[in-house]
Amino acid sequence: MQEFLESIQYSAFGLWVAGGDTIFAYPTILALHTVGLGIVVGMSAILDCRVLGMGRSVPLVDLQGLFRIMWWGFALNAVTGLVLFIAAAADKAYQKIFYVKLAFIFLALLTSSRIRRTVFGTALDPNGPMPQNAKFLAVASLVFWMGAIVAGRLMAYTQTF
Amino acid sequence: MAAFVTWLRETAVSEAFRVPQPWLWPTFESLHFLGLALVLGVAGFFDARLLGFMKGIPIRKAAEFLPLAKVGLAINLTTGLYFYIASPFQYSFNIAWWYKVSAIVLAAANAGFFELMLKTKMVTLRDDEEPPISFRIVGTLSLLAWLNVLYWGRMLPFWSPPGGGADL
Repeated sequence: MQEFLESIQYSAFGLWVAGGDTIFAYPTILALHTVGLGIVVGMSAILDCRVLGMGRSVPLVDLQGLFRIMWWGFALNAVTGLVLFIAAAADKAYQKIFYVKLAFIFLALLTSSRIRRTVFGTALDPNGPMPQNAKFLAVASLVFWMGAIVAGRLMAYTQTF
Repeated sequence: MAAFVTWLRETAVSEAFRVPQPWLWPTFESLHFLGLALVLGVAGFFDARLLGFMKGIPIRKAAEFLPLAKVGLAINLTTGLYFYIASPFQYSFNIAWWYKVSAIVLAAANAGFFELMLKTKMVTLRDDEEPPISFRIVGTLSLLAWLNVLYWGRMLPFWSPPGGGADL
């Protein structure tokens, strides 16, 4: 395992990402990862808060497109995240908080897709009150995405986590 | 500038932010990223609407989500001020920080312009009515400004002055 991690981290690509003599390597990829975070969690926050009662005059069906934007943001982050992992594989793979982050993302994705199917994909009265379980899912989604952000942020503190 | 920064760094407040609470910085960083997601995501959503996307949602209704962006901004101004007070050297002599602050001022001025000059128009706009071109300009500027805030914020550690990040 250690050998494999080192082989990708010290591959030509891994070394270029981590230390390439250009601002377009690590810094830009990290910035893109942060843009993706804003897209994913921002869209999710709008959808969740709509379920919880904010912006009630906006029909659910008109917000459905946000799931697609969210998906694009997620794709961006899956790719940039993988690249960032490669550049520091032998360190990140041993950080417990990294697996906490992955777990939160997994749970958040599960919850968001569930919301899409059970709330936005059905003929719910768009102006009526949301069923209790929909609100529960919305809160869970907010908590899981927040958890992913916090865990991701804490990955910077390699010594502690 | 150097005198101000040296003074600020020596104040009891700066000291208290820094020394006894090693967990405070990571906690505020986490909150800062949460705020970032709200500002970029929700303001970006509204900007996209101003630019003509998601025409099914009337602009004044899309604006009902803007309080989320304001909450994010409040979180980030608070935590950002904390970072600055706790570690003023790291930022004051970092060109990326000045770009970031300039972009924040631009984004705020742009939003203020919309609030003061265009909000009345937004409220009276019919659902099927095309907004004036000024809406598109404000949306474009806002999107560019916030992306710059994020970009230069992310560049802070890469542009920091020699030894500048040594505070924490």
